[in-house]
Amino acid sequence: MGLLENRFDDNIVVEKLDKLLSWARSTSPWFFQFGTACCAIEMMAAAASRHDLMRIGIIPRSSPRQADVMIVAGTVTMKMALRVKKLYEQMADPKYVVAMGSCATSGGPYWQHGYHVLKGVDLVIPVDVYVPGCPPRPEALIEGLLKLQEQILEGRPLTRKMG
Amino acid sequence: MSEDIQVLIDDVVAKALAGDMDPINNIEDRVTRSKAKAALVKAKRSQPETEIKSKDSEVSEHSDVKAKDTIEHIVIASLTKNFSNFLDGEQNGEWIQMKPENWFDIAKHLKENEDLYFDSLQCNTGFDLEGGMLESRYNLHSMKHLHAIEIRIKVSIENPNIPSVESLWRVADWFERETYDMFGINFTGHRDLRRILLPEDWEGWPLRKNYEEQETYHGIVVPKVKEGWE
Repeated sequence: MGLLENRFDDNIVVEKLDKLLSWARSTSPWFFQFGTACCAIEMMAAAASRHDLMRIGIIPRSSPRQADVMIVAGTVTMKMALRVKKLYEQMADPKYVVAMGSCATSGGPYWQHGYHVLKGVDLVIPVDVYVPGCPPRPEALIEGLLKLQEQILEGRPLTRKMG
Repeated sequence: MSEDIQVLIDDVVAKALAGDMDPINNIEDRVTRSKAKAALVKAKRSQPETEIKSKDSEVSEHSDVKAKDTIEHIVIASLTKNFSNFLDGEQNGEWIQMKPENWFDIAKHLKENEDLYFDSLQCNTGFDLEGGMLESRYNLHSMKHLHAIEIRIKVSIENPNIPSVESLWRVADWFERETYDMFGINFTGHRDLRRILLPEDWEGWPLRKNYEEQETYHGIVVPKVKEGWE
């Protein structure tokens, strides 16, 4: 501590820049507003007044270029998988993915016979948080987003390896 | 229960069994009326044999009339005047089994003939009958005469060609595209026969019995291990 000790006034906090950036990111992970199936209804409910995602700094954005988090809400078909991948690629770094519901995590009820369903969105894009449920209640989604916030807070943005 | 009321109930039940329900409905007192109705149900139950017999005779009379006048017979009679050799096998169901060759002209006749006038195609769908046969079924309905009919057309899986009726009933456009998408039935003469639900570069016809899932789709692996999920 010797170098910095007593060199500043009392109203100055000294911290790592990493932590500042992580803190800023974790408290405003704006999510990309799109839904592929019934989970989207629960996602909308989570964003609406009763559960109010905005109180933890999360608001929907309608463009992938302004979004930090992609909530894959619902069944992803093979046809949609290519679009989901393209949308993910259009998001600016740093970007995070929440797989919401059993369809997005593993194919869900379409695991056995759904010839056209992607068996888990992690086959196409990297997933940070999985939220189980069919569909998960808004509380479950909020729990998942809080976990994501923790994860972002613990991250080290300046030393993170890209690609 | 007083004797007067009992007499009244017996009287109205006897009349109701004879077919006149008015006396029973005209009873003022609610309790008495419900008692009378209960007695009527009981009386009906105790004479089921005669009931069933009379019903049977009615049905058989009806079916005699029906056999000549069902819409299937009217349609076949009307078509026989204009077309030959269009039926496929014996006709003994509530549908008409046809050959695919003349289907467009027959459909045009079904739609435009004044007595038939099937102006509405309610549904077209496909079937895999196994044994190398596919089937396309059409449900037609007439808004004018309020009658309906089902047409079935069988084709072999090696040569699944059926004339399109898309230019007669515009709704057949998407119906036929869906049937094509799922079963690979080729509707000749359709102006825009593309897959409707699946991506254009999809391989195979998913609702055929011998369909096998692809290994990969655009580099996306399709997992094949599916144990422990039943």
